[in-house]
Amino acid sequence: MIDLKNADPHFKWEIIKMEGGEGLLKCFGCSDCAASCPVRYFDERYNPRKIIRLTLLGMKNRVLSSPFLWFCAHCHACTERCPQGILVAEVINAIKNYAVENGYCPEGYKVQLDLLKRLGRLYEVEDFDLKKRQRLGLPPIDKTIPEVARILEHTGILKKVGQ
Amino acid sequence: MKKYALFLGCTVPVRAQHYEMSARAVAKELAIEFVEMAGASCCGFPLKAVDAETSLLIAARNIAIASKQNLDVISLCNSCTAMLSDAQLQLKNNEFYREFKKLGFSYPNEITVKHFVRVLYEDIGIDKLKSAVKKRLDTLHVIAHYGCHYMRPSYLYGFDDPEIPHTFDELVNVTGAQSVEYMDKKMCCGGSVLGIDEALAVTMANHKLSIAKNNGVDALISICPFCTVMYEDNQRKAEEKFEIQYNIPVLYYPQLLGLSFGFDMNAVGLRFNRVRPNALLEKIGLSD
Repeated sequence: MIDLKNADPHFKWEIIKMEGGEGLLKCFGCSDCAASCPVRYFDERYNPRKIIRLTLLGMKNRVLSSPFLWFCAHCHACTERCPQGILVAEVINAIKNYAVENGYCPEGYKVQLDLLKRLGRLYEVEDFDLKKRQRLGLPPIDKTIPEVARILEHTGILKKVGQ
Repeated sequence: MKKYALFLGCTVPVRAQHYEMSARAVAKELAIEFVEMAGASCCGFPLKAVDAETSLLIAARNIAIASKQNLDVISLCNSCTAMLSDAQLQLKNNEFYREFKKLGFSYPNEITVKHFVRVLYEDIGIDKLKSAVKKRLDTLHVIAHYGCHYMRPSYLYGFDDPEIPHTFDELVNVTGAQSVEYMDKKMCCGGSVLGIDEALAVTMANHKLSIAKNNGVDALISICPFCTVMYEDNQRKAEEKFEIQYNIPVLYYPQLLGLSFGFDMNAVGLRFNRVRPNALLEKIGLSD
Protein backbone atom coordinates (compact mmCIF):
# COMPACT_ATOMS: atom_id res chain seq x y z
CA MET A 1 0.00 0.00 0.00
CA ILE A 2 1.34 3.40 -0.92
CA ASP A 3 -0.26 6.31 0.90
CA LEU A 4 0.82 9.51 -0.79
CA LYS A 5 -0.10 11.47 2.33
CA ASN A 6 3.26 10.25 3.63
CA ALA A 7 5.15 11.30 0.51
CA ASP A 8 7.98 13.80 0.61
CA PRO A 9 7.96 15.62 -2.76
CA HIS A 10 11.52 16.84 -2.21
CA PHE A 11 13.01 13.37 -1.91
CA LYS A 12 13.70 12.84 -5.61
CA TRP A 13 15.32 16.27 -5.96
CA GLU A 14 17.61 15.44 -3.08
CA ILE A 15 18.64 12.17 -4.73
CA ILE A 16 19.46 13.73 -8.10
CA LYS A 17 21.86 16.09 -6.34
CA MET A 18 23.83 13.10 -5.02
CA GLU A 19 26.89 11.73 -6.87
CA GLY A 20 25.47 9.23 -9.40
CA GLY A 21 21.82 10.15 -8.82
CA GLU A 22 21.49 12.36 -11.92
CA GLY A 23 19.53 9.95 -14.14
CA LEU A 24 16.70 9.21 -11.71
CA LEU A 25 13.99 11.33 -13.37
CA LYS A 26 14.38 9.58 -16.73
CA CYS A 27 12.94 6.30 -15.41
CA PHE A 28 9.69 5.31 -17.15
CA GLY A 29 9.27 2.15 -15.14
CA CYS A 30 9.84 -0.57 -17.76
CA SER A 31 11.41 -2.98 -15.25
CA ASP A 32 14.31 -4.00 -17.52
CA CYS A 33 16.58 -3.40 -14.51
CA ALA A 34 14.63 -5.83 -12.33
CA ALA A 35 14.54 -8.41 -15.12
CA SER A 36 18.33 -8.18 -15.56
CA CYS A 37 19.18 -8.24 -11.87
CA PRO A 38 21.13 -11.29 -10.62
CA VAL A 39 20.21 -10.54 -7.01
CA ARG A 40 16.50 -10.38 -7.79
CA TYR A 41 16.88 -13.69 -9.65
CA PHE A 42 17.47 -15.30 -6.23
CA ASP A 43 15.60 -12.99 -3.88
CA GLU A 44 12.53 -11.11 -5.06
CA ARG A 45 12.54 -8.85 -2.03
CA TYR A 46 15.15 -6.81 -3.91
CA ASN A 47 13.70 -4.87 -6.83
CA PRO A 48 15.59 -1.90 -8.32
CA ARG A 49 12.52 -0.69 -10.24
CA LYS A 50 10.47 -0.61 -7.06
CA ILE A 51 13.16 1.36 -5.22
CA ILE A 52 13.29 3.89 -8.06
CA ARG A 53 9.48 4.20 -8.29
CA LEU A 54 9.14 4.67 -4.54
CA THR A 55 11.86 7.31 -4.70
CA LEU A 56 10.08 9.17 -7.49
CA LEU A 57 6.85 9.04 -5.51
CA GLY A 58 8.64 10.49 -2.48
CA MET A 59 8.32 7.51 -0.13
CA LYS A 60 11.45 8.62 1.67
CA ASN A 61 11.22 6.74 4.95
CA ARG A 62 10.15 3.52 3.32
CA VAL A 63 13.07 3.58 0.86
CA LEU A 64 15.71 4.63 3.35
CA SER A 65 14.74 2.20 6.07
CA SER A 66 14.43 -0.81 3.76
CA PRO A 67 17.11 -3.44 4.43
CA PHE A 68 16.74 -4.59 0.81
CA LEU A 69 18.22 -1.35 -0.55
CA TRP A 70 21.60 -2.80 0.46
CA PHE A 71 21.12 -5.99 -1.56
CA CYS A 72 22.30 -4.27 -4.76
CA ALA A 73 25.60 -5.95 -5.70
CA HIS A 74 26.54 -2.99 -7.91
CA CYS A 75 27.14 -5.43 -10.80
CA HIS A 76 25.79 -3.00 -13.44
CA ALA A 77 23.72 -5.63 -15.30
CA CYS A 78 20.82 -3.12 -15.05
CA THR A 79 22.94 -0.19 -16.25
CA GLU A 80 23.85 -2.06 -19.44
CA ARG A 81 20.21 -2.66 -20.36
CA CYS A 82 18.34 0.47 -19.28
CA PRO A 83 16.58 1.80 -22.43
CA GLN A 84 16.68 5.29 -20.93
CA GLY A 85 20.43 5.18 -20.51
CA ILE A 86 20.17 5.58 -16.75
CA LEU A 87 23.21 4.41 -14.81
CA VAL A 88 20.84 2.41 -12.63
CA ALA A 89 23.46 0.95 -10.29
CA GLU A 90 24.79 4.48 -9.72
CA VAL A 91 21.29 5.77 -8.91
CA ILE A 92 20.79 2.97 -6.38
CA ASN A 93 24.24 3.80 -4.97
CA ALA A 94 23.22 7.48 -4.66
CA ILE A 95 20.17 6.40 -2.65
CA LYS A 96 22.44 4.30 -0.41
CA ASN A 97 24.72 7.31 0.13
CA TYR A 98 21.68 9.42 1.01
CA ALA A 99 20.50 6.72 3.43
CA VAL A 100 23.91 6.85 5.15
CA GLU A 101 23.61 10.64 5.49
CA ASN A 102 20.27 10.06 7.18
CA GLY A 103 21.55 7.59 9.72
CA TYR A 104 21.00 4.28 7.95
CA CYS A 105 24.50 2.83 7.58
CA PRO A 106 24.69 -0.99 7.80
CA GLU A 107 27.06 -2.22 10.51
CA GLY A 108 29.28 -4.06 8.00
CA TYR A 109 30.14 -0.80 6.27
CA LYS A 110 30.96 0.86 9.59
CA VAL A 111 33.47 -1.92 10.26
CA GLN A 112 35.06 -1.40 6.84
CA LEU A 113 35.19 2.34 7.40
CA ASP A 114 36.95 1.82 10.70
CA LEU A 115 39.51 -0.53 9.11
CA LEU A 116 40.22 1.97 6.37
CA LYS A 117 40.63 4.74 8.90
CA ARG A 118 43.10 2.74 10.98
CA LEU A 119 44.93 0.81 8.25
CA GLY A 120 44.10 2.28 4.86
CA ARG A 121 43.24 -1.24 3.76
CA LEU A 122 40.60 -3.87 4.55
CA TYR A 123 42.91 -6.53 5.95
CA GLU A 124 45.52 -6.09 8.59
CA VAL A 125 49.02 -6.85 7.27
CA GLU A 126 50.77 -8.76 10.04
CA ASP A 127 54.45 -9.63 10.36
CA PHE A 128 53.43 -13.17 9.45
CA ASP A 129 52.07 -11.92 6.11
CA LEU A 130 55.21 -9.93 5.39
CA LYS A 131 57.40 -12.96 6.15
CA LYS A 132 55.24 -15.18 4.00
CA ARG A 133 55.50 -12.67 1.14
CA GLN A 134 59.26 -12.58 1.53
CA ARG A 135 59.46 -16.38 1.51
CA LEU A 136 57.42 -16.46 -1.70
CA GLY A 137 59.68 -13.90 -3.36
CA LEU A 138 57.03 -11.15 -3.28
CA PRO A 139 58.00 -7.53 -2.54
CA PRO A 140 57.10 -5.91 0.82
CA ILE A 141 53.90 -3.86 1.17
CA ASP A 142 52.93 -0.99 3.48
CA LYS A 143 51.30 -2.11 6.72
CA THR A 144 49.27 1.06 7.01
CA ILE A 145 48.47 3.94 4.68
CA PRO A 146 47.59 6.94 6.93
CA GLU A 147 46.73 9.15 3.94
CA VAL A 148 43.38 7.34 3.70
CA ALA A 149 42.37 8.64 7.15
CA ARG A 150 43.16 12.15 5.94
CA ILE A 151 40.72 11.70 3.01
CA LEU A 152 38.05 10.37 5.39
CA GLU A 153 38.51 13.45 7.58
CA HIS A 154 38.38 15.74 4.57
CA THR A 155 35.06 14.47 3.22
CA GLY A 156 33.50 14.30 6.67
CA ILE A 157 32.25 10.75 6.19
CA LEU A 158 33.39 9.69 9.67
CA LYS A 159 31.15 12.29 11.26
CA LYS A 160 28.24 11.30 8.99
CA VAL A 161 28.27 7.75 10.34
CA GLY A 162 29.15 8.86 13.87
CA GLN A 163 32.75 7.66 14.09
CA MET B 1 59.77 -4.58 -22.17
CA LYS B 2 56.40 -3.02 -21.38
CA LYS B 3 56.22 -1.25 -18.02
CA TYR B 4 53.13 -0.87 -15.84
CA ALA B 5 52.39 0.18 -12.27
CA LEU B 6 50.99 -2.85 -10.42
CA PHE B 7 48.05 -2.08 -8.14
CA LEU B 8 47.54 -4.87 -5.59
CA GLY B 9 44.59 -3.65 -3.52
CA CYS B 10 43.61 -5.27 -0.20
CA THR B 11 42.84 -8.92 -0.85
CA VAL B 12 45.52 -10.04 -3.32
CA PRO B 13 48.70 -9.29 -1.30
CA VAL B 14 47.52 -10.97 1.93
CA ARG B 15 44.86 -13.47 0.91
CA ALA B 16 45.69 -14.46 -2.67
CA GLN B 17 49.47 -14.54 -2.94
CA HIS B 18 49.20 -17.41 -5.40
CA TYR B 19 47.35 -15.06 -7.77
CA GLU B 20 50.06 -12.43 -7.37
CA MET B 21 52.91 -14.96 -7.75
CA SER B 22 51.46 -16.49 -10.89
CA ALA B 23 50.66 -13.07 -12.39
CA ARG B 24 54.22 -11.92 -11.78
CA ALA B 25 55.69 -15.12 -13.22
CA VAL B 26 53.53 -14.94 -16.33
CA ALA B 27 54.27 -11.23 -16.78
CA LYS B 28 58.02 -11.86 -16.60
CA GLU B 29 57.78 -14.54 -19.29
CA LEU B 30 55.92 -12.06 -21.52
CA ALA B 31 58.40 -9.22 -20.90
CA ILE B 32 55.91 -7.15 -18.90
CA GLU B 33 57.62 -5.19 -16.13
CA PHE B 34 55.64 -4.46 -12.98
CA VAL B 35 56.64 -1.36 -11.04
CA GLU B 36 55.52 -1.36 -7.39
CA MET B 37 53.17 1.41 -6.21
CA ALA B 38 54.61 2.51 -2.85
CA GLY B 39 51.93 4.01 -0.64
CA ALA B 40 49.00 2.51 -2.55
CA SER B 41 45.95 1.83 -0.38
CA CYS B 42 42.58 0.14 -0.71
CA CYS B 43 41.05 1.08 -4.09
CA GLY B 44 38.08 2.75 -2.37
CA PHE B 45 35.36 0.44 -3.68
CA PRO B 46 34.26 -0.88 -0.25
CA LEU B 47 33.17 2.65 0.67
CA LYS B 48 31.29 3.48 -2.51
CA ALA B 49 27.94 2.47 -1.01
CA VAL B 50 28.68 4.68 2.01
CA ASP B 51 29.94 7.75 0.19
CA ALA B 52 30.82 7.77 -3.50
CA GLU B 53 32.94 10.92 -3.28
CA THR B 54 35.15 9.48 -0.54
CA SER B 55 35.68 6.27 -2.47
CA LEU B 56 36.54 8.20 -5.63
CA LEU B 57 39.07 10.36 -3.79
CA ILE B 58 40.75 7.28 -2.31
CA ALA B 59 40.87 5.76 -5.80
CA ALA B 60 42.16 8.99 -7.34
CA ARG B 61 44.99 9.16 -4.81
CA ASN B 62 46.10 5.71 -5.98
CA ILE B 63 45.90 6.89 -9.59
CA ALA B 64 48.08 9.86 -8.63
CA ILE B 65 50.86 7.52 -7.47
CA ALA B 66 51.03 5.89 -10.90
CA SER B 67 50.57 9.22 -12.65
CA LYS B 68 53.72 10.57 -10.98
CA GLN B 69 55.59 7.56 -12.34
CA ASN B 70 53.88 8.17 -15.71
CA LEU B 71 52.84 4.53 -15.87
CA ASP B 72 49.56 2.91 -16.85
CA VAL B 73 48.03 0.85 -14.07
CA ILE B 74 47.45 -2.89 -14.05
CA SER B 75 45.03 -4.28 -11.49
CA LEU B 76 44.45 -7.93 -10.64
CA CYS B 77 40.97 -7.38 -9.20
CA ASN B 78 37.78 -6.65 -11.13
CA SER B 79 36.33 -4.25 -8.57
CA CYS B 80 39.59 -2.35 -8.10
CA THR B 81 39.75 -1.98 -11.90
CA ALA B 82 36.24 -0.51 -11.99
CA MET B 83 36.86 1.82 -9.05
CA LEU B 84 40.18 3.14 -10.37
CA SER B 85 38.75 3.51 -13.89
CA ASP B 86 35.87 5.55 -12.48
CA ALA B 87 38.31 7.82 -10.63
CA GLN B 88 40.42 8.18 -13.76
CA LEU B 89 37.30 9.40 -15.58
CA GLN B 90 36.27 11.69 -12.70
CA LEU B 91 39.68 13.39 -12.72
CA LYS B 92 38.53 15.06 -15.96
CA ASN B 93 35.60 16.59 -14.11
CA ASN B 94 36.44 20.10 -12.83
CA GLU B 95 34.51 19.89 -9.59
CA PHE B 96 36.02 16.55 -8.61
CA TYR B 97 39.50 17.64 -9.67
CA ARG B 98 39.25 20.70 -7.41
CA GLU B 99 38.48 18.48 -4.39
CA PHE B 100 41.36 16.24 -5.35
CA LYS B 101 43.73 19.26 -5.55
CA LYS B 102 42.49 20.56 -2.19
CA LEU B 103 43.92 17.42 -0.59
CA GLY B 104 47.30 18.28 -2.09
CA PHE B 105 47.25 15.53 -4.73
CA SER B 106 48.32 15.96 -8.32
CA TYR B 107 47.72 14.17 -11.58
CA PRO B 108 50.67 15.22 -13.75
CA ASN B 109 50.35 12.58 -16.48
CA GLU B 110 47.18 11.13 -17.94
CA ILE B 111 47.31 7.39 -17.47
CA THR B 112 44.98 4.45 -18.10
CA VAL B 113 43.80 1.61 -15.87
CA LYS B 114 43.36 -1.94 -17.10
CA HIS B 115 42.76 -5.36 -15.65
CA PHE B 116 45.79 -7.63 -16.13
CA VAL B 117 43.71 -10.01 -18.24
CA ARG B 118 42.66 -7.16 -20.52
CA VAL B 119 46.32 -6.21 -20.91
CA LEU B 120 47.10 -9.80 -21.92
CA TYR B 121 44.33 -9.61 -24.53
CA GLU B 122 44.92 -6.11 -25.88
CA ASP B 123 48.56 -5.20 -25.27
CA ILE B 124 50.17 -8.64 -25.56
CA GLY B 125 47.70 -10.39 -27.82
CA ILE B 126 46.51 -13.93 -28.46
CA ASP B 127 49.25 -14.70 -31.03
CA LYS B 128 52.11 -13.79 -28.72
CA LEU B 129 50.53 -15.76 -25.88
CA LYS B 130 50.13 -18.78 -28.16
CA SER B 131 53.78 -18.70 -29.05
CA ALA B 132 54.71 -18.75 -25.34
CA VAL B 133 52.72 -21.95 -24.69
CA LYS B 134 55.06 -24.90 -24.26
CA LYS B 135 52.73 -27.45 -22.72
CA ARG B 136 49.18 -27.47 -24.07
CA LEU B 137 46.57 -28.44 -21.50
CA ASP B 138 44.36 -30.16 -24.07
CA THR B 139 42.83 -32.63 -21.65
CA LEU B 140 41.19 -29.93 -19.51
CA HIS B 141 37.64 -28.58 -19.67
CA VAL B 142 36.95 -25.48 -17.60
CA ILE B 143 34.41 -22.70 -17.19
CA ALA B 144 35.64 -19.13 -17.45
CA HIS B 145 34.08 -16.82 -14.85
CA TYR B 146 34.39 -13.22 -16.05
CA GLY B 147 33.00 -11.50 -12.96
CA CYS B 148 30.89 -8.34 -13.23
CA HIS B 149 33.49 -5.61 -13.28
CA TYR B 150 35.71 -7.14 -15.96
CA MET B 151 33.54 -5.77 -18.76
CA ARG B 152 30.85 -3.79 -16.92
CA PRO B 153 30.03 -0.95 -16.74
CA SER B 154 30.79 -0.59 -20.45
CA TYR B 155 30.71 3.22 -20.21
CA LEU B 156 33.90 2.99 -18.16
CA TYR B 157 35.65 0.29 -20.17
CA GLY B 158 34.49 0.20 -23.77
CA PHE B 159 36.08 -3.23 -23.88
CA ASP B 160 34.66 -6.64 -24.83
CA ASP B 161 30.89 -7.15 -25.16
CA PRO B 162 29.03 -6.53 -21.89
CA GLU B 163 26.26 -8.93 -22.92
CA ILE B 164 28.19 -11.65 -24.78
CA PRO B 165 31.77 -11.42 -23.55
CA HIS B 166 34.39 -13.50 -25.34
CA THR B 167 37.90 -12.20 -24.61
CA PHE B 168 38.52 -14.31 -21.51
CA ASP B 169 37.28 -17.49 -23.23
CA GLU B 170 39.79 -16.84 -26.00
CA LEU B 171 42.55 -16.39 -23.44
CA VAL B 172 41.61 -19.64 -21.70
CA ASN B 173 41.61 -21.50 -25.03
CA VAL B 174 45.16 -20.29 -25.69
CA THR B 175 46.34 -22.72 -23.01
CA GLY B 176 44.82 -25.70 -24.83
CA ALA B 177 42.21 -26.11 -22.08
CA GLN B 178 38.71 -25.87 -23.49
CA SER B 179 36.55 -23.03 -22.19
CA VAL B 180 33.10 -24.62 -22.11
CA GLU B 181 30.03 -22.58 -23.09
CA TYR B 182 27.56 -22.52 -20.22
CA MET B 183 24.36 -20.89 -19.07
CA ASP B 184 24.27 -17.69 -16.99
CA LYS B 185 27.88 -16.92 -17.78
CA LYS B 186 27.63 -13.33 -16.54
CA MET B 187 26.10 -14.31 -13.19
CA CYS B 188 27.51 -12.30 -10.28
CA CYS B 189 29.48 -14.29 -7.66
CA GLY B 190 27.53 -12.62 -4.84
CA GLY B 191 30.64 -11.15 -3.24
CA SER B 192 29.22 -7.64 -2.89
CA VAL B 193 26.34 -8.81 -0.72
CA LEU B 194 28.40 -11.17 1.47
CA GLY B 195 28.59 -8.58 4.26
CA ILE B 196 24.87 -7.77 4.00
CA ASP B 197 23.24 -11.21 3.68
CA GLU B 198 25.53 -14.23 3.72
CA ALA B 199 22.81 -16.74 2.83
CA LEU B 200 21.96 -14.77 -0.32
CA ALA B 201 25.63 -14.42 -1.30
CA VAL B 202 26.23 -18.17 -0.87
CA THR B 203 23.09 -18.92 -2.89
CA MET B 204 24.44 -16.76 -5.72
CA ALA B 205 27.84 -18.49 -5.62
CA ASN B 206 26.14 -21.87 -5.50
CA HIS B 207 24.40 -21.17 -8.81
CA LYS B 208 27.59 -21.17 -10.83
CA LEU B 209 29.16 -23.96 -8.80
CA SER B 210 26.19 -26.16 -9.67
CA ILE B 211 26.55 -25.22 -13.33
CA ALA B 212 30.25 -26.14 -13.16
CA LYS B 213 29.34 -29.48 -11.63
CA ASN B 214 26.63 -30.19 -14.20
CA ASN B 215 29.10 -29.47 -16.97
CA GLY B 216 31.60 -31.85 -15.41
CA VAL B 217 34.46 -29.36 -15.73
CA ASP B 218 37.90 -29.73 -14.17
CA ALA B 219 37.99 -26.21 -12.73
CA LEU B 220 36.41 -22.79 -12.58
CA ILE B 221 38.84 -20.12 -13.78
CA SER B 222 38.66 -16.79 -12.00
CA ILE B 223 40.27 -13.39 -12.54
CA CYS B 224 39.09 -11.65 -9.38
CA PRO B 225 40.12 -12.34 -5.77
CA PHE B 226 36.66 -11.67 -4.44
CA CYS B 227 34.96 -13.99 -6.93
CA THR B 228 37.44 -16.61 -5.74
CA VAL B 229 36.48 -15.93 -2.12
CA MET B 230 32.91 -16.77 -3.11
CA TYR B 231 33.61 -19.83 -5.27
CA GLU B 232 36.52 -21.33 -3.37
CA ASP B 233 36.52 -20.13 0.26
CA ASN B 234 32.71 -20.34 0.48
CA GLN B 235 32.41 -23.55 -1.54
CA ARG B 236 32.03 -25.62 1.61
CA LYS B 237 29.27 -23.31 2.87
CA ALA B 238 27.42 -23.80 -0.42
CA GLU B 239 27.94 -27.56 -0.11
CA GLU B 240 26.46 -27.56 3.39
CA LYS B 241 23.56 -25.27 2.56
CA PHE B 242 22.54 -27.20 -0.55
CA GLU B 243 23.63 -30.67 0.65
CA ILE B 244 25.78 -31.36 -2.35
CA GLN B 245 29.41 -32.27 -2.97
CA TYR B 246 31.27 -29.97 -5.37
CA ASN B 247 35.00 -30.24 -4.88
CA ILE B 248 35.56 -27.92 -7.84
CA PRO B 249 39.05 -26.37 -7.99
CA VAL B 250 39.13 -22.62 -8.57
CA LEU B 251 42.26 -21.48 -10.38
CA TYR B 252 43.33 -17.96 -11.18
CA TYR B 253 43.87 -17.47 -14.89
CA PRO B 254 47.62 -16.73 -14.55
CA GLN B 255 47.97 -20.08 -12.78
CA LEU B 256 46.41 -21.88 -15.74
CA LEU B 257 48.42 -19.82 -18.22
CA GLY B 258 51.60 -20.44 -16.23
CA LEU B 259 51.05 -24.20 -16.37
CA SER B 260 50.69 -23.94 -20.14
CA PHE B 261 53.97 -21.99 -20.23
CA GLY B 262 55.56 -25.05 -18.64
CA PHE B 263 56.00 -23.51 -15.15
CA ASP B 264 56.06 -25.94 -12.27
CA MET B 265 53.25 -26.11 -9.72
CA ASN B 266 55.10 -24.12 -7.09
CA ALA B 267 55.93 -21.26 -9.44
CA VAL B 268 52.19 -20.65 -9.88
CA GLY B 269 51.44 -21.25 -6.19
CA LEU B 270 49.13 -24.23 -6.71
CA ARG B 271 49.68 -25.45 -3.17
CA PHE B 272 47.74 -22.42 -1.92
CA ASN B 273 44.54 -23.35 -3.73
CA ARG B 274 42.10 -24.33 -1.02
CA VAL B 275 40.21 -26.86 -3.11
CA ARG B 276 43.02 -29.23 -4.05
CA PRO B 277 43.36 -29.54 -7.83
CA ASN B 278 44.85 -33.06 -7.64
CA ALA B 279 42.61 -34.63 -10.28
CA LEU B 280 43.32 -31.73 -12.64
CA LEU B 281 47.07 -32.09 -12.14
CA GLU B 282 46.91 -35.80 -12.83
CA LYS B 283 45.08 -35.10 -16.06
CA ILE B 284 47.92 -32.90 -17.29
CA GLY B 285 50.61 -35.25 -16.07
CA LEU B 286 51.67 -33.31 -12.97
CA SER B 287 50.88 -34.86 -9.64
CA ASP B 288 51.72 -34.06 -6.06
